Formats: sequence, structure tokens, C-alpha cells
Amino acid sequence: MAGTEVTTTVHSEWMQYAPLIILLPMMAFAVILFLGRVFNGHPFWKKNLKEGGLIALPVMGASLILSLLLISEFLKGYSGVEDIFEKIAWVNTGIWNGGSTTESVSFGFGIYVDHVTVMLLFVASFLCLLINVFSIGYMNTDPINDNRNHRFYAEFVLFCSGMLGMVLADSFLWLFIFWEIMGLCSYLLIGFYYERPSAASAAKKAFLTTRIGDVFLMIGLVMLWDLFGSLDYAVVFDTHNIEMVAESSAGTLQWALGLMFIGAVGKSAQFPLHVWLPDAMEGPTPVSALIHAATMVNAGLYLVARMFPFFGAEALHGDLDDLAFIIAAVGGITAVMAAAIAFVQMDLKKVLAYSTMSQLAYIFTGLGCAMYLANTLDWHHDSDAHYIVVVAFGASLFHLFNHAMAKGMLFMASGSVIHEVHHAHHHLHHDDHGDDHHDDDFDAQSMENMGGLASKMPITATAMLVGSASIMGLPLIGGFWSKEGIIANAWRVAQDDPRFLFPAMCVLIGAAMTGFYMSRMWLKTFAGKPNNEVAAHVGPTNIWIKTPLFILTFVTLSSILLAGMGFTHWAADTEYSFLSEKNLIDGILYEMGHAFANSDSFFFILTYVAIFLGAVIGPGIAMALYGGKLADGEDTKPWMRPVIRLSEFVNKRFHFDNTALRESSLAIALENRLYIDEYYDKAMLNIVAGFSTKVAEADTEVIDGTIKAIESGSQSLSSVVRSLTTGSARDYILMVAVGTLIISLLIWGVA
Amino acid sequence: MSEITTIEPFTEGFVEALLPELILFTGMLLLILVPNLGKGTFRIPGTQLRLPWLLGGTRFKFSSDPRLPAWIASITLGSAFLNVLYVFSQGLERVLIVSESGKELLLINGFSRIFELIFFGALALAAFSSMNRLQVKGIGSKIPENELYNNRRQADFYILMVTCALGMSVVALAQDLFVLFIGLELASFSTYVLVAFLKESKVGVESGMKYFIVGSVASGVGLYGLSMLYLWAGSLQFSVLAATFAVSGTTALPLIGIGFVLVGFGFKVSAAPFHFAAPDAYAGAMSPVAGVLATASKAMGMLGLVRMLLIVAAPESSDGSAVWLVCLGAMAAVTMTWGNLAALGSDNPKRMLAYSSVAHAGYMLAALTAVGAWNWDAAVAGDASAAAVAVMTALLFHLVVLVAFKLGAFLVLSILESEGGGSRLSSLGGLAKREPLLAVAMFIFMISLAGVPPMAGFLSKLLVIMGIVRVAVGDMGAEISDGGIYALGDHALGLVACLAYGHQLSHFRLLLSSCRRCDVL
Repeated sequence: MAGTEVTTTVHSEWMQYAPLIILLPMMAFAVILFLGRVFNGHPFWKKNLKEGGLIALPVMGASLILSLLLISEFLKGYSGVEDIFEKIAWVNTGIWNGGSTTESVSFGFGIYVDHVTVMLLFVASFLCLLINVFSIGYMNTDPINDNRNHRFYAEFVLFCSGMLGMVLADSFLWLFIFWEIMGLCSYLLIGFYYERPSAASAAKKAFLTTRIGDVFLMIGLVMLWDLFGSLDYAVVFDTHNIEMVAESSAGTLQWALGLMFIGAVGKSAQFPLHVWLPDAMEGPTPVSALIHAATMVNAGLYLVARMFPFFGAEALHGDLDDLAFIIAAVGGITAVMAAAIAFVQMDLKKVLAYSTMSQLAYIFTGLGCAMYLANTLDWHHDSDAHYIVVVAFGASLFHLFNHAMAKGMLFMASGSVIHEVHHAHHHLHHDDHGDDHHDDDFDAQSMENMGGLASKMPITATAMLVGSASIMGLPLIGGFWSKEGIIANAWRVAQDDPRFLFPAMCVLIGAAMTGFYMSRMWLKTFAGKPNNEVAAHVGPTNIWIKTPLFILTFVTLSSILLAGMGFTHWAADTEYSFLSEKNLIDGILYEMGHAFANSDSFFFILTYVAIFLGAVIGPGIAMALYGGKLADGEDTKPWMRPVIRLSEFVNKRFHFDNTALRESSLAIALENRLYIDEYYDKAMLNIVAGFSTKVAEADTEVIDGTIKAIESGSQSLSSVVRSLTTGSARDYILMVAVGTLIISLLIWGVA
Repeated sequence: MSEITTIEPFTEGFVEALLPELILFTGMLLLILVPNLGKGTFRIPGTQLRLPWLLGGTRFKFSSDPRLPAWIASITLGSAFLNVLYVFSQGLERVLIVSESGKELLLINGFSRIFELIFFGALALAAFSSMNRLQVKGIGSKIPENELYNNRRQADFYILMVTCALGMSVVALAQDLFVLFIGLELASFSTYVLVAFLKESKVGVESGMKYFIVGSVASGVGLYGLSMLYLWAGSLQFSVLAATFAVSGTTALPLIGIGFVLVGFGFKVSAAPFHFAAPDAYAGAMSPVAGVLATASKAMGMLGLVRMLLIVAAPESSDGSAVWLVCLGAMAAVTMTWGNLAALGSDNPKRMLAYSSVAHAGYMLAALTAVGAWNWDAAVAGDASAAAVAVMTALLFHLVVLVAFKLGAFLVLSILESEGGGSRLSSLGGLAKREPLLAVAMFIFMISLAGVPPMAGFLSKLLVIMGIVRVAVGDMGAEISDGGIYALGDHALGLVACLAYGHQLSHFRLLLSSCRRCDVL
């Protein structure tokens, strides 16, 4: 065991309140559930408290405020301090070490704050709050949710608690515990409409698929424990401890980390454990936003980012590059595959789901490359190498941030669209037929039932536009800054190690694909003429839904400011602090120059290739196919007019017939998700179900059989024993005599 | 430890020291006198003058009240209990009562007081709860109600309860074989009669008779053992016996004597193979009486064993003491297995509880063995002596909590019995619906008996088993070095510990049947 604990415990003003960030939502969970049970259907509960929504809201607000205070303190005062600790002993116990003594072990709960924590803490608490606001507008206005929204809010806050706890935890053990809390909540939330068979099976699928990853994660954690004797970050990230482990068992460590990575693959829906994510769209839209943008899928990324100190350790130099390649390659495969499937999806939310997979894959690729660089370059001593590693890691984290913000917004915007389309449909339907039933044939999520909504829902359309642009990496907007960084780093690594050409190509092609499917989604939904009567009658949405969209639009647009503040540096490494390098203007100018006029000619060309693919080719094809002007007499906000006009122009000029392509076997395969789900089902049916049957048989025969044999055996023995109790005093006296004799014999024999 | 005050009978401090026993004695007199109070008069001979002397004649209303004896007995036993409790709270004084010739008779210390608490507590509860519950259906013959509620008959019942308590407390205090035996027999005879108290019932009389006969045989053997000890040591004093045992304990006479004493007390704690009359007695007796047998009477037997084995034949005094360890260990193993196995198939809840009480006796004997096993060898004693103290504490704790849940279970059965059902497990079915409160109580008693956390029964059983294991493990060193006898004893201990985990199933059966809902359709 290499566990000598070196903890930097810093008590600071806000640190002591940090546990409240987790505890407040956790308590709100119980409160909402209890009150919801008691006051279900009560007018005050329904109208004034929004069935718990307005209990969750201040709690999430408080979590955000506490998080911000913690973050600002970290950035101001403790930038450069490795960790901030607040350790609460939770279980003090002993572990039998095989001899006659036990080794004392203490499992404590502590808060660990470093740059990665800070970044994800902000993302999680900020988006959770906004999604909460959105939920009040979305969930409480739909009669189908009446009298069960308290269940939603309770599970929602517990989920948030799990995410925040996972981010703040100070050991892999607690990370895993909160990870599983999230897993449970995602199961409950995806299955919120459990009366629908599709939702119930989607929930099961999500739960079981992520469970596969979790099993590996658990094995990885056990191996890690075996190596370090602890799972505390303070112990496992300690340079001295890593050195000791590296000497004897670097290979084992790589396996442990690799197994943990499988857990991340499951949670972040990467190939081959991605199958649950599209189905998870069965949950209410705020849930989709919560799971896919803000929190759960980022958990996997967070786990991988947490492993960075191993890759960056000097002692393990060059030992972990295979794992780094695997991470990057999984990312590369998923990026292209998910984007390809997104081409053919008609369901608005499913496009976003596949887009999420694809973008997360980018981040994985970015992390893999950064880890490769950290593992192979001599970045502890060479300041140039140091800069490269930090920027590579930072770019991935920055993309995580940008993607979370943009995708959260996109999901909420799509929710807004679906909500209003649904209402419009319901309205029409209700007027026409005078009954209150939902038409089951009508799919409010299908883009076939939309079109031309830019004029009806300007805020939503704007948000969607900005979000799509950010995801596509349109120059100057949001994700551009980070995506370019990831692509550039992938190619930088590819120059060192030809294996990396594969992920590098993947992310480059993926950029063009992203451009296509995001543009397609926006154009089909918002541009052109309404596809049917329902879409023509969609009205603007309510204030609870608008507010978060409005806020997130600005956050996404302002990501250049963050880039200018050196986000990619200080998000990755505390040696660079907030605005430490340059002031804001200089920073922005530097980033601009770095992106658009790179001094290295290879990267200069690469940048423009990427821009050309992602911002011209992809959207261009989409416009040619799906562009078009709005219906006559409809107009939209001035900033969307040029987009629509351009699409109209491109559509007229370059429109081509893609029927042949759409009916090709590839397209059909893509519509069927490349048949992966079917293969899995078959494999499950043949292998797992068969195995289960055998196990069940063994259970009834061997285990139950043994127990039954013991039972009947003791029953028959019991009757034998009882038959000795004859009821005759003579026999009893005989037994006393026998007993006396035996005692005498025993004493005689022994003495 | 505080000094022991030595006093002679009827000198200063005697009344305070023996106040609980004196309360019992007074209560007994009251039980005899009060129900006889009446308008009886005494005619002065040769005159027409009649002096009212209150005995006999037409009785007063209060003195013919059928509940009166129960009240007197309950108050007597209760106040004796409270008195002991009060003495505890005031800080205990250790008092030794010696005869004029200097012979030690009674010792009052914390140990004996704890046992007194058990005895008085159990009997007070039994007395109080049997106040309205003497009527028993389904035990044999029909008994007219007014016959049972006859106040004089009630008085007999409660007098026996009080004498039983008195006898037990004498056993607790005794420092002399003779006093011990007197107390033992006083208590035993009271219980024999109590078991057969329902003389109209065939079952009751038969079981009482069997209990009496087998008990007499066991007592006879035990008495024979005591006489051997006297023959060998020339004294009845515990202190003298212990001192002599340390010198020449390995000779045949004392060993055989101890062995016979084991038989006598083995019957009292209902250890196998002397337990056979116990299930019959429990099933035939009224439930409160059976409860007393299972708790107070058993505690008395354990107390006797502790006195005889640990004080007289103290294990550290000589190697010879090891011999009874083997006997006791074997007895414990057989007893707990037998009891649990038999309980498993019993259909009568009282029989099942009786067998379970046999099994409990096994655990307690095992604990006693563990205490005895603690330091044969000073070199390996070390921690084990602390363990022995722990086991002893656990044993006491087990006896105390046993009063709560075993007596409780019997009292629940007594309620059902007085309503006519309770002799079969199936008659408990649907109790949760009929009598939710009773069912909950029974549930708690049963899971406690079965040793389910967090019930007291779990804790006591855990402490006993932990202690046994610790002693057994602690003595491993001795086993390796010395082999032979020790190994045998240790193996017995290990086996015992394993068995003790084993069979708790029977309680669950009772539990299940009492909780099962009526199957309506």
C-alpha cells in the first residue's frame, strides 16, 4: 500500500458552506416528495408552489450562489493552491489485513476543489437552475403532468444533488456514489411517463446500459484501491504515491484507468454503449436537457478529466499513451457515427441526442489527445510543451463548457417548440372535434410537423440558431473556439503518432457533418413554410421558458470573452490564473490572431479547412436541400432574416434531388441506427437470457434444493427428537439416569 | 470493592439487608390472613359474650374479592423488586450474614441482587398479569367459573408465587450448601404445585406430577452430589469448599459430587437430557406459570450452577476443574441442538417456547463454559480474562432480557388461552387482524427471541457468542501447547459457537403464523 496521506487542508470562509451545495437539494428532495404526497392536488400547492417547482427553485438558486462564491474564492484567493479540503470523517473502521490485527481505515467525505471542479461546478449549478426555471414553464402547463409534478421536482433536485456531489467529492469512492445516485435518478426521470411502455423500456435500457459501464468502473476503482490503498484524490494524485505505483505496476494502473474509462463511456453514451441515449428522449424535455446537456453525460467526461494527473505524472511518462489513444479513438468513432445517424433523424430531440453523442465524442478525442501530449511530452520542465499540454486539455474542457451551455439551450428550445406545437395541435384538435383526447398519431416532436416557426417563436428560433451555430463551430460563436482547438490538437498529435490520424480525420469530417445536421434541423424547423396546419397555428411561448433561453443565448455568444480571459489556460491548470496572462482585450486579440492567422502554416491551413467544412460545406448542403423563405406575410426578427434569405438563395441555386441518396441502403441503415440496437438485443436474447435461464434453473435446483433439503431434513430430525419425549415419566427418569451416567463417565474419562 | 459488612442474624442492619425477603414474608402472611378476615366472633366460654375477632365467619366484601390475593401478591413482589432497585440506586453495601458460630449463611452483593431483580420482576409480572386470567379453556375438563374465581383458591395460587420468590432469593443469597438446597427446594416445590394448580384439568395434574417426579429424581441426585462434597470437605460452607477444592479438587469424590450437582441444576435450567419433563410441564401449566418456569426458575438454575461451578469448583484453583468444562460444553452443545430441533416441529406454541427455552439454556451453559475456560494457563490468559468478564455480563444480560421477551410471549399466549385458543400454532393465524396490539407485541418478542437486530435478544446473544468466540480463540495457544483436555474443551466451545448461530428458525415459524392474515377466500 502506498497510501501516505498528504492533504492540503485549507479552511476558508465559503468552504465551510460548500457541503450545503449538495445537501440543500438533497433535503429539498425529501421535502418536495413529502409535501407533494400530503398536499397533492391542493390548489395552493398547485398554483402557488407549482407542485414543488418553487421549492426547488430557491434551493437551486442557493446552490448556484454558494457555488459562485466558492468559485470566486478559488479563482481569487487560492488560484495556485492545489486543493482545498474540508474533510468530515464519515466511517472509521478497520480492515482485516490477514493477520491478527486490523488496519484502521477512515472513509471521510470531503470537498475537493480544483480547476476542473470549478468549471463543472459552474456548469452544473448554473444549468440546473435554468432548467428548473424552464421546467416550471414546461411541466406545469401540461395537463398530462398534473398532480405528479412533485415527483418530477423531487427526482430533479436529487439528480442535481448527485451531480453537484459528484463534482465536489474528494475521492473516487464518493464520485462513484454520487454517480450512482445520478444513475438512479436518470432511470426514474426517463421513466417519468412510466405508463407508456416505450418510456418504461427506455428507462430500463438507460439504466442497464450505464450499469454495464459502472461494473467496469467499479472493477477499475477496486484495482485503483489495491494500488494506492485509498481512493482519495489527495492520496492517488500525490506525486510521491504515483511514483511508487509507477515503479512496480504502471501496466496495472493503465488497466485500472482503462476500466474506469469504460464507465465513462457508458455514462457519456459513447460507442459502443451509446444505445441508451436516443431512447432516453422518452423523458420530459427538461429531463433530456438535464441529462444530456448539463449533467449526466458530462459526468463521464469529468471522470476522464479527473484522471489527468495520472497522465501528466512524470513517473508515468510514456506509460499510458495506449489508453490515451483508445480514448481518442472511441471519441473519433462516435463523433462520425452519431453525426451520420443524426442526418436522417426526423425527431427534433433525437437529432439533438445524436448531436450530443457526437459532441461529447469531440471532447473525448480532445481529452485523449491532451492526455497523450501530457504523457509523452516533457511538460514539467519544457515551458513550450507545458503550454501545449495545458491548452490542449483546456480546449477540451472549454468545449465541454460551450457544449453544455449550447446543448442545454437547444434542448430547452426544442422543448419550447414541442410544447407549443403540441398545444397548437391540441387547440386545433379540441376546436375541431370538441373532445379532450390527445391524438396518438400526431407526433409533436417530428420535424415533419414543423417549419416556418421563426416568425412564430422569435426567441426560441434565435436561441436555436445561436445554439446550432455554437455546436457547428461557426466562426466567432461559442463552440468555435474550443472545437478548433480540439481539431488542431488532434492533428498535432497525429504528427507525432500516426495512430492518431484516425481520430484526427474523424473530428475533421465530423465538423462538416455537424454543420449539415444542425443546419438541417434549424431550417426544417424554423425556415420555409409551415408543413401543416398545426405548425401555422403555433403561438409564442411563456415567460418561464423564454427566460433561460434568453440567458443562455448570451452566455453562448459571450464565449469569446471567456476565451479572451484565457479560459483554456486556467481551466486546465492552476498555474495560469484568471486573467493572469493578458488583459481582456489583449486576450481576445491573441485568440483571434491565434485562430485566424496562425503563424504555423500547417495549423493555418487546418483552421481554414475546418472552417470551410463546418461552416460552408455542411450548412451549404443543408440549405440547398431544406432552405426556403417563410410563408407570405410572415416576418421574423432582423437578425434571422439574412439567414433565411441566404438559405432561400442557396436552395434556389443549388437545390438537388436527394431521393436516391435518401433511399440508399446506407440511409436506411442509419435510420435503423446502424442496426446496433438489434444486434445488442439479439446478443442479449441469446447469451444473457440463455445464461439467465440456466442460472435460474441452478437457483431452483441447487440453492433452493439445498435449503429445502435442510428444511425437510431438520423437520424429520425434529420429529425424531420429539418422539423421544414420550410423555411417560418413567422414560424421563431413564433419560436422567442416562445423563448422570454419561456425566460420570465423562468425568471419569477426563480425570 | 467495598468492604464486606459481617453481621449476625437479628442484629443491627439485618432488617435493612434482608428487607426484600422480609417484605415477601410479610406478604405471604398477609395472603394467608387477609382472605380469611370476616365477621367471625369468639364466644368467651361460659358466657353469652361474643368478641369479634375478625377471623372466619361471613367474610367481608373486600376480603372475599377474587382479585384481592393477586393484588397483595403483586404489591408484595413489586415492592420487593422496587426495594432491590432502590438499594441499587443507593449504592450497594455488601453484607455477609453469619451464624452465631461464625458460619457464613447469606451474602448480599450486586450479583445476588441482580438475580433477585430477575426473580421478583418476573414473578411480579406473572402475578399481576394472571389477575384476571385464571380461567382456562381447552386445557382438559370444564371448570365452573365461580370455582376458579374462588378467592381462597386464588390465595393459594399467589401464596405459592410468593414462596417461590422467597425460595429463589434464598438461592441467590446462599453461601452454604444447606441454605442453597433449602431455597432450591422451596422454590421447586412451589413451582411443582403451580404447574399442577388446575387440579380439575387432567393435563395440568399429569404434567405437574411428571415434573415433580422427574424433578425429585434430579434433586435427589443433586443432593447426593452435595452430600459427597460434604463428605469430602467436611463442611457445607462455600468458602471452605472452594479452599479445599483448590488443594485436592482432582480427587474422585468431589468430581463425582460436582457431576451429580450438574444433574440437579441441569434439570432446573432444563438442559438436555434432563429437560424432558419441561415441555410437558410448560404445556400443561398455565401460561404465566410456564413463563415463570422459563425465566425466573431458569435463572435460579443458572445461578446455582454459577455458584457451584465458578465459586466452589473455581477453574483457576486447579487443573481438576477442567473436567466439568468438558461435561458442561457437551451438555451445552446437545442442549441447544436438541432444543432447537425439537422446537422446529412443535405445533403447540407453548411447547415450542418450552423447547426454545431449552435451547436458550444451551446458550447460557455455553457461556458458562466459556467463563470457566478462561485461564487455565496464566501465560495465555491475557485478554481472555476480560472476555470472561464480558461473557458473564452477557449471561446476566441475557437472563434479564429473557424475562422481558420470553415471559412476554407466554403472557400473550395466556391472553389467547383464556379466550380458548392458543394450544395450536394455527390458532394464532390472523392475530394481526384480530388483535393488532397483541400481534405487534408478539412480533417484537419473537424477533427478539430469534435474535434479530436491533432487539435486546440479538444484543445478548451476540455478546454471549462473541465472548465464547473470544475465549475460544484466546485459548488456541493453550490448545497447541498442551493438547489433550484443553483441545477437547476448545473444540466443544467452537462447536457450541457454531451451533448457536444455527437454529433460530423455530421462532420465525411462530412469528409467521401469528402474523399471517386470515385467508378469506
